[in-house]
Amino acid sequence: MPFKINSLTCFLPMPSRAKTNNMSKDLQMRAAINQKLIEMGERERLKELLRAKLIECGWKDQLKAHCKDVIREKGLEHVTVEDLVAEITPKGRALVPDSVKKELLQRIRAFLAQHSTL
Amino acid sequence: MKMEEMSVSGLDNTKLEAVAHEIYSDLVEDACLGLCFEVHRAVKQGYFFLDETDIESMKDFEIVDQPGVDIFGQVYNQWKNKECVCPNCSRSIAASRFAPHLEKCLGMGRNSSRIANRRIASSNNVNKSESDQEDNDDLNDNDWSYGSEKRAKKRKSDKNPNSPRRSKSLKHKNGELSSNVNADSFKYNYNSSIYYESLGPDELRSLLTTQCGVISEHTKRMCTRSLRCPQHTDEQRKTVRSLLLGPSALTLPEGDTAVDNDSYETNDGSVLMSHLHWDGSSDISPSDSGSSKASTNNSESKKPKKKKKSSLSTGGGGYGEGGSGGFSSFQGGALGPSNRKKKTKISTAPPTSVYNELN
Repeated sequence: MPFKINSLTCFLPMPSRAKTNNMSKDLQMRAAINQKLIEMGERERLKELLRAKLIECGWKDQLKAHCKDVIREKGLEHVTVEDLVAEITPKGRALVPDSVKKELLQRIRAFLAQHSTL
Repeated sequence: MKMEEMSVSGLDNTKLEAVAHEIYSDLVEDACLGLCFEVHRAVKQGYFFLDETDIESMKDFEIVDQPGVDIFGQVYNQWKNKECVCPNCSRSIAASRFAPHLEKCLGMGRNSSRIANRRIASSNNVNKSESDQEDNDDLNDNDWSYGSEKRAKKRKSDKNPNSPRRSKSLKHKNGELSSNVNADSFKYNYNSSIYYESLGPDELRSLLTTQCGVISEHTKRMCTRSLRCPQHTDEQRKTVRSLLLGPSALTLPEGDTAVDNDSYETNDGSVLMSHLHWDGSSDISPSDSGSSKASTNNSESKKPKKKKKSSLSTGGGGYGEGGSGGFSSFQGGALGPSNRKKKTKISTAPPTSVYNELN
C-alpha cells in the first residue's frame, strides 16, 4: 500500500535510505506534487469546489441526518469529536456521488499533467 | 517497476493516477472532518436540533407585523411617558428629561459649572440679607430645589434684559411683553423704563439719585437715562422728585449735580445749593457710590434724596465745607437698597473725589 501522504507530511523528514529507492523517489515525488499543489493555491480551490459540489448534491444534508442519529444514539451531552469522526468519515467517503468524484479527479489529473515536470 | 521507467520529470500513468486518487481522498476526508467539527460545535453550543423546535415555541418568536410595534412586538416610545425618580433629589422626572436633569442635579457636565459660576457671580453682587446668601449657597449645591429654581429664574431673567431671547419675545408680542418684562425687571434692570408706582420709597430714592426719573406722559414711566439726560430738564426732574418723595426730599436734583456722593443733602438749602454747584460728572460715580453709601444711612433719617449717580454737574467749586460735613455723614450709610447689582456699583462710589475737590 502506498503511503498515504497527508499534506502535512510533506514536511516531515524522508524515510531513511534503507528503504527502496522507488519508495523514496515515490515519496519525494508525491511530496513535491503536494507542495506544488499547495503553493499554487490549487489545493484550496479544489477543496472549495468539492465542498460546493457536495452541498449542491445533498451530500451534506444526508450526512447531517446520519449525524443526528449518531448523536441521539450516543446522547447529546456525551458526543465527542472522535465519535463523530469515526462514525461519519467512512460513510461520508462512501456517499460521495460519482459525478463529483469524476470531476474532481479530472481536475487533479489536469493539474498533474501541467505541473508534473519537477 | 523498473528504475529506468522512472524519469525525473514524469511518472507513468498508474503512478499519476494513484497520486491523483490519493489527493482526491485527502480532499474528501477534509470535507468530512469539516462537517464533523461543524456538527460537534453545534451540538455543544446547543443549536444543533434547533430546526426541530415544536411549532408552539416557534409561535412565540414569530415576526410581528403590526403598526406601532416593532418586529419583536415591543412598543417604540414606551418609555417616553414614564417617570423616573432621581436618586439625588428624589424627584420624579420625565424619562426623556432625566439625563439632563441628572447632569445638573449631580453638578457634573458642562453646563452645571457654568450655571454655578453665574450664580456665584450674581450672589456676590447682590448685597441682600444673610438669608439670601444662604439661599445662594443652596442654589449652588442643588440647582433643582424648587425655591432656588424660582429665584434663579428670576435672577436669570433679570440678568440680561437685552439678551436676544428677550428681544425675541418682545418682537413676537409686539411690545406687549416688554412692559411685563420691564415690570419684572425694574428692580434689577436699570436700563428699562420703570413703573414708579410699584416702587417703595427707598427704591424710589435710590433710583432717583441715579436716574433722570422724569415720568413720561404717555407711558407713565420713569425715565431711566442718566441725570443729565437731554430729553428732560432739571425742572422736570425736580418736579418728579417732589412728587414722588415729598417736598422734603427735594434736595438734589436741580440741574446737573455731578457725583452722587456729594448728593448727600442736609435740609440746609445752602448746602443744597453748594451741592448743586459742585461739579461732578457721572464718571465719578464709583466714588459716588462710596459716598452715597455713607449718605444712605443719613438719608434714612433725613429723607434726603440720594443721587447715586447724579450727573448733576453743578459748579463743583461751590461745594465747600457744607459738603464735607455732609460727606462725613455720608460715610455712615451705604446705599440701603443696594440690593440691586447696579445699585451696588453705584454705591461703591466714594466721595473721595469730592473730598479732593473740596480740599
